[in-house]
Amino acid sequence: MAPFDLVALLGTAGSYLVYLAIGFAFGFILESSGFGDSRLLAAQFYFRELRVLKVMFTAIVVAMLLVFWSTALGWLDYDQLWVNPTYLWPGIVGGLIMGVGFIIGGYCPGTSLVSAVTLKVDGMFFLLGNVTGIIIFGETVEFINSFWNSGYLGVFTLPELLRLDTGVVVMLVTCMALAMFASFEWLRRMLYGSEK
Amino acid sequence: MNGLAEKMKYWNPYLGGTLLGVLLFLSFFVTSHGLGASGGVNRIAVAVEDLVVPEHVDKTPYIAKLAGGDRDPLGHWLVWEVVGILLGGFASGLLRGRVRVQTYRGPQISNHSRWVYAFIGGTLMGYGARMARGCTSGQALSGGAVMSVGSWAFMFAVFAGGYGLAWFVRRLWQEA
Amino acid sequence: MNIVQRPEMVGAAILLLASGALALHGQPDLDQKWEYLAPRYEPRLMEREVYIDPAELLHLMNDDYIHLVIYDVRTESDWNEFHLVDSIRMSLKSLKEERKRLRSLPENAVVVVVSNDEILATEAWKRLMVVAKPNAYILEGGLNLWLNIYGVPEEETDMHGKASLGKPDGTLRHGFKLALGDRHAAAQPDEHLVPHREYTSRVKLMKKIARAGGCD
Repeated sequence: MAPFDLVALLGTAGSYLVYLAIGFAFGFILESSGFGDSRLLAAQFYFRELRVLKVMFTAIVVAMLLVFWSTALGWLDYDQLWVNPTYLWPGIVGGLIMGVGFIIGGYCPGTSLVSAVTLKVDGMFFLLGNVTGIIIFGETVEFINSFWNSGYLGVFTLPELLRLDTGVVVMLVTCMALAMFASFEWLRRMLYGSEK
Repeated sequence: MNGLAEKMKYWNPYLGGTLLGVLLFLSFFVTSHGLGASGGVNRIAVAVEDLVVPEHVDKTPYIAKLAGGDRDPLGHWLVWEVVGILLGGFASGLLRGRVRVQTYRGPQISNHSRWVYAFIGGTLMGYGARMARGCTSGQALSGGAVMSVGSWAFMFAVFAGGYGLAWFVRRLWQEA
Repeated sequence: MNIVQRPEMVGAAILLLASGALALHGQPDLDQKWEYLAPRYEPRLMEREVYIDPAELLHLMNDDYIHLVIYDVRTESDWNEFHLVDSIRMSLKSLKEERKRLRSLPENAVVVVVSNDEILATEAWKRLMVVAKPNAYILEGGLNLWLNIYGVPEEETDMHGKASLGKPDGTLRHGFKLALGDRHAAAQPDEHLVPHREYTSRVKLMKKIARAGGCD
């Protein structure tokens, strides 16, 4: 039953190859979808280009459906999957900071990799900034340590929060995503007419 | 965007999203975790730091966990995934002739300004990603797909931050 | 609706249908999950790998390094008659609520499930594995065997401290003059005073597989 213990199956080197392959596919899809292009990414925040929203939420919904159908059929063991533990406050504050960084810098860490590797100079500067930010964090985190560990709720999932069945939550998320696609698209037409 | 996406021949985002979703699922299925990017960049940065100032690395708790003493920050799957992302992005760009030295920017600012803003944005992103324990790939996509409440909260915060500031920095991106 | 094109509408419909069907189908319940997981765990039960001798449990109770959790899955009346010190009474049904606690146990935690014989405890063990996969074991011979070894005959009515184990049927085969719960001497035997008993140690401490999965 999936998931598997990769290191046991393939050895450390083998498992690294798997991740390399996954990363390759990830980078390929990102670049092909235009995520190495800061103009398109930033345009999301002006409702002009919606691919950030569309790609992210389509990916989440598709992955969610595949994951939970697999667990429903006994092919996958959800308990073995890594679910990010919830640290509520640093998550939200970090998210806000990243949102600001996104609209100023035009990328996020993953997309800046794709941009830099296709020789986009702004992507390279972004990546340099990324490393700088990481270093600054490492040096200063001890001063905000209690904040950084605040709001710890452990592994806390939406079905637990909403007290609904997993399948129902998946359906709600799907509906929400589709509603967002439709409404953002409508908003785009309102603001910019029917230009492509 | 006046047909920019079409001109550059980028994929339909729903298609890209579907493929990404399948990849994300396969990642969970085969490896038990989702995708990630900032963690890999983090480790590479720490590895370089360890080469240059190893004693400092040993003394700072946050980085010592990754690279203090004998620990090898690069012996982790995130690093390999990042290498893969670079290779895959390059391959895709190469195939479509998009590997070209260029600066993407809004029409109202110069290349140099764009570089400065990209650096500032990157710094904020790097800092924020560490604070949130993940970036849009690791937290939003992967955590979101497995229903983590923190990941969803994070995702909405990112959008709030971006949309909140957008009007104030429109000069960076919009036409006059 | 001319906002979205045709193929995207098809895609949206597929997603909605898939999610609706998922909601109807539901996620597997404990019994179903056991069916899926059984191939991995049945062998361990068959080979008796997870049954530990009473002497080993006694050792665990006295080992300061081990974080021991004892689940007693018997009825309330049996519990009132006799139960081990620091054990937790749990019905089979409420095991799944232990998930959060079990998943946050430290690295040196050992869980032992006890019942009168082994039947109930084995059922409980299966459910624990489905719910949280802790480092869990079953008391071999149950509390009936435990009391044979460590029981105090004076406290018991007609068995004189030696219940016939015979065909296990899950009842407590020691009768007590007073229902003292965990205040009997046998609820926490003194390791130094009881006669030495040989056993094959089966408890292994599991190193927590540090699955740092996120961008951490």
